[in-house]
Amino acid sequence: MSGKVKVMERKGKDLYERLYLIEIFKGMAVTFGHFITNFLDNSKLYVRHYPEQKPEITARWRGRHRLTTHEDGTMKCVACFMCQTNCPAKCIMIEAGERSDGRTEKMPVRFDIDLLECIYCGYCVEACPMDAIRMDTGIFSVTGSERGSFVMGLNALLATPGAFTEEEYKKGGA
Amino acid sequence: MSQLDILLLVLRVAFGAFVPLCFIAVLVWMERRGAAFFQDRSGPNRANIFGFRAAGLVQNLADAVKLITKEDVIPDHVKHKFYFVLAPVIVFCIALMSFAAVPFADVLVINGKEYIMQAIPTDLGILWFLALAGFAVYGIILAGWSSHNKYGVLGGLRAAAQVISYEIPMGLAIISALVVYGTVSLTEIAQFQGQLLFGFIPMWGVVLQPLGAIIFIVAAFAEANRTPFDLAEGESELVAGFHVEYSSMKFGMFFMGEYVAMFTSSAIIVTLYFGGYQLPWLTTETLVNHAGIVSFLLMLAVPAFAFLFSLWIRKNNKSHYDRPDDPRVREAQVYIKALWVLVGGIEVLLLFFMVLSGGAAANILVALLQIITFLVKTTLMCFVYVWVRWTLPRFRYDQLQSLGWQTLLPLSLLNILVTSAVVVALS
Repeated sequence: MSGKVKVMERKGKDLYERLYLIEIFKGMAVTFGHFITNFLDNSKLYVRHYPEQKPEITARWRGRHRLTTHEDGTMKCVACFMCQTNCPAKCIMIEAGERSDGRTEKMPVRFDIDLLECIYCGYCVEACPMDAIRMDTGIFSVTGSERGSFVMGLNALLATPGAFTEEEYKKGGA
Repeated sequence: MSQLDILLLVLRVAFGAFVPLCFIAVLVWMERRGAAFFQDRSGPNRANIFGFRAAGLVQNLADAVKLITKEDVIPDHVKHKFYFVLAPVIVFCIALMSFAAVPFADVLVINGKEYIMQAIPTDLGILWFLALAGFAVYGIILAGWSSHNKYGVLGGLRAAAQVISYEIPMGLAIISALVVYGTVSLTEIAQFQGQLLFGFIPMWGVVLQPLGAIIFIVAAFAEANRTPFDLAEGESELVAGFHVEYSSMKFGMFFMGEYVAMFTSSAIIVTLYFGGYQLPWLTTETLVNHAGIVSFLLMLAVPAFAFLFSLWIRKNNKSHYDRPDDPRVREAQVYIKALWVLVGGIEVLLLFFMVLSGGAAANILVALLQIITFLVKTTLMCFVYVWVRWTLPRFRYDQLQSLGWQTLLPLSLLNILVTSAVVVALS
């Protein structure tokens, strides 16, 4: 059994192409077309003026993390350590304590994510049985002037709202 | 020497020294913004002073401040520190000096005395350029060798091999040009190109020597170490090539030297093959004899051009996103006002020349006109350098050598034969 063999035509061997200059001029005509269009009207540039114009983030984008809450404002996290165990970068540090709001027995008293360690793989979101951790804040740019500021604490994680509606997030395949 | 002699001497030397330096800024800007526009990007357009960005030219100031204030490192392993420091100086100074023999206007006659409009009024012309252009590569070789770095040495070796191979076709192309012009003085070469062929075609070198022009331009690209022949600094193979160990302003010198070399070789190409300072169909005598009409026409043309330019500024200098009270529109209005003030100044100057038409004033007007023509032509040639750089990929080393030795060398020899035969047959 022999497969189909497609013989590719070798280019660049005939005199016309070996003269080289004609092909160069053709290439230069193409680039000059781009130049003159942009020069005469620079609104035609394929450019997003970034800090002023933000990119459109889809619901599937894995941005900075947040912890979700129930409707009554109590946190969904039950400190099961699934995300911490699953984290390949070992960036989640949870300390469990007794639950005070009466929903279940456990809740985290400390929930730190070190964003400098995090590789934004989203395994914590997949591992979570309570849908308590999500990466749907739409924050793609995490900056800080000192290392300490990159460790997100429990309150900061709870304070960030999601950037999308529940339907959009579900449609994204979560 | 009269006071006029001294004044003109100073002016000419200042022109030869400062115009290439000013063009560094223009060329770096042209390269970056041009590259961006070729690739549908916008390039550096944020750096500003009080909101004035000058189309991105302010970025050059920021870069210069950065380069000057960076730490000037001489690595410990460099044994010959003197040569290490000398190398960028050679590259920069040689590039600057080779502009000295290029005429930027026709011989200026004031009160019956003739002034050759070159920084160094010499007849050496093209020989001066050839001598210095070959010397510039010593700086690159020295930089590569004294860096004591394998990438540096490889870059230097490549530069040496490349310049040797391309200097031969370049020299041979010049020989056939000299056969046509019959002189080595660049001023006389430019004067020769003011004539008309068959009475209606400007007798530019590119018309008389099309093959020679192509060979010379290709070789000049290789001499200036520009893409597609910038193997000496091929970053994908050699990191940065010969300047890999250089930092701060020593790197800056290499960088500026590259742009001065680009300006100089553009100036030489323009002088040899594109009529130098000559306006097509308008010889110096025609212009001097009709100085009144010329200045009147210029008085009409300058505002018309300025009007189109202001339209272009207004169209392109604005933000492309919603912005309350767009500062770029206000910036554009300031530019347009400055433009019209400049136009007003030029109009007064032209009126002055029109009233005084005749004598020294006419000669000075024509000289100014020719300087502007020369600079515009050189800028266009520099644009071709940028254009080619952002169109063609880099040559492979063996392709470079085979192009030089197997294609350009035989072609330039053939060109000499044909040219000499035609010249002998016609004379």
